Amino acid sequence: MIATIAFALLIVSSVVQAVYLLRREAKVDPFSHYILLAAAVLLLAVTIERSIRIRFVAVTNTFESLVFFSAAIALLLFLYRLRAKDRTIPYINFGATVVAIALLAIASSPIAPKEVVPPIPALQSYWLILHVTLSFIGEAFFVIAFVCAIYYLAARNGDRRKSLDRLTYTTIAIGYPIFTAGALIFGAIWAQTAWGSYWSWDPKETWALITWLVYTAYLHTRFVKRFRGKVSAVLAIVGFAFTMFTFFGVNYLLAGLHSYA
Amino acid sequence: MSALYRFFRSVRLAVVLILIIAVLSIVSTLIPQGRDPSFYFHSYGAFWAQLFLILNFDDFFHSWPFRIPVGLFFINLSVCAVDRFISRRHRRARRRHGPDLIHLGLLLLIIGAMVSVAGRRESFVYMGVGEEIQLKEKYIIRLVEAEYQEYEDGRPKDWISTVAVLRNGELLIPSYSIEVNKPLRIGGVRIYQSSFAREDRALLLDQDGISSTITNGRGFEVEGGLIVFRGIEGKSAVFERWERRTRTAVYRVGIGEPIAEYTVGDLGSREVSGLNAVKDPGFIPVVIALIIVGAGLTLTLIQKGKDREL
Repeated sequence: MIATIAFALLIVSSVVQAVYLLRREAKVDPFSHYILLAAAVLLLAVTIERSIRIRFVAVTNTFESLVFFSAAIALLLFLYRLRAKDRTIPYINFGATVVAIALLAIASSPIAPKEVVPPIPALQSYWLILHVTLSFIGEAFFVIAFVCAIYYLAARNGDRRKSLDRLTYTTIAIGYPIFTAGALIFGAIWAQTAWGSYWSWDPKETWALITWLVYTAYLHTRFVKRFRGKVSAVLAIVGFAFTMFTFFGVNYLLAGLHSYA
Repeated sequence: MSALYRFFRSVRLAVVLILIIAVLSIVSTLIPQGRDPSFYFHSYGAFWAQLFLILNFDDFFHSWPFRIPVGLFFINLSVCAVDRFISRRHRRARRRHGPDLIHLGLLLLIIGAMVSVAGRRESFVYMGVGEEIQLKEKYIIRLVEAEYQEYEDGRPKDWISTVAVLRNGELLIPSYSIEVNKPLRIGGVRIYQSSFAREDRALLLDQDGISSTITNGRGFEVEGGLIVFRGIEGKSAVFERWERRTRTAVYRVGIGEPIAEYTVGDLGSREVSGLNAVKDPGFIPVVIALIIVGAGLTLTLIQKGKDREL
């Protein structure tokens, strides 16, 4: 029920944003980001309520992960809107809000069971909590980078492209270390503690590494003049596509150790 | 020599190698790993199966098509790390130690991973309560108690194996509970709680009355094939007959009834704990590498924040 209200708030926020973006006079809407904040608070409340019921931090299945991921995106968009003065931010906010809505729509679908069940033995680890939460916080930054990169490729105005390129870079530069710590470092430590093998070349592990390699390549394209701009933007888009494939595609197309999330 | 140095210090080479490794890794997830050669012939046809097996794509991450780009990346990363250090000394450029730490950590990570590949040893064993296993030369692990906890819906809640450890015959650790996510560390080896299972046993008597015990999953040879003991169902032992790779018959045999040249003398079951002993000399270097990478990433963020680049 709380998740449904949060979902409705995200839709309301996106509609308000769209209305203001479509108006002729360039006026930034004054309140859609507060609706995003309210949605984020409600989604975090869902996580807390489920955590109390299972007596463990509720990030142990697809539904709970998507709720946390959407909350992280909504909260981040609120903070970006408050801090950044860039004129492109309302467009980025709208695109990223649509991504958060899509993620919650998947959470509400039958592919993400909603039963409140305590975790199986392998998942009862504090390393897992760090692994999952930091991965999704890092990926929330990648969502913004993805929208910026698409907007960059579509934009014609030179100044706007420059500012979008910079925003893509800063979001990846912040998200990358958080994602690295969560997905790879804490993931490896958890795997070692649970199974005695810090790396098993399980499909999900391999795809997380592939995603990390793409973002690593992105950060290095900044140093090569020929790669800056279009190549960088394409890598930011591919990186996000791989992030989503690692989360969803591997679960349904490739079998492995991570069959529960 | 300087041309080779310039080639390997190139960031463009780094980007290209990173993307090559990424693409090769994608290919590896599309081809099932570690299967029997017949699987590849059956699934992909003779041409592709032979190509995969020649290129070692069935064990991709140990194959040369993967090792060569990783090796080149290792050289590239080493040269870049050294070059950054030298050029900063010459040009008195702004000191950015974050990326240096990340590069150093990644080099150590690759070395640690290679040590793991070469030196990691793993051994799995099912143990019943009261049984002992010898670990290295001086340690003995004795299973004192095995507990399987379930949630109300029947899903596993915890597997706990309480063990005692003896060194040179003397009690070293009187009691330690090995649980999932809580391994026992002893003499450089870690022992992990891996699984719990029911072990079925059948006592078989041959024509001379000599007895032998068989556990589920094990079998014995007969003319033209193999008889495998699958387990106990009700009051009967279930055996399967396999000829080459095909199951040709299933037999349900009660106590006192024959199976091939044997007679089933007795049937019984017990709970066994699945423990996995792992020795990995590469793990410590990998942990140190991960800490260095983590420190480098944090430092980079702080430095960029100070420089208002973010």
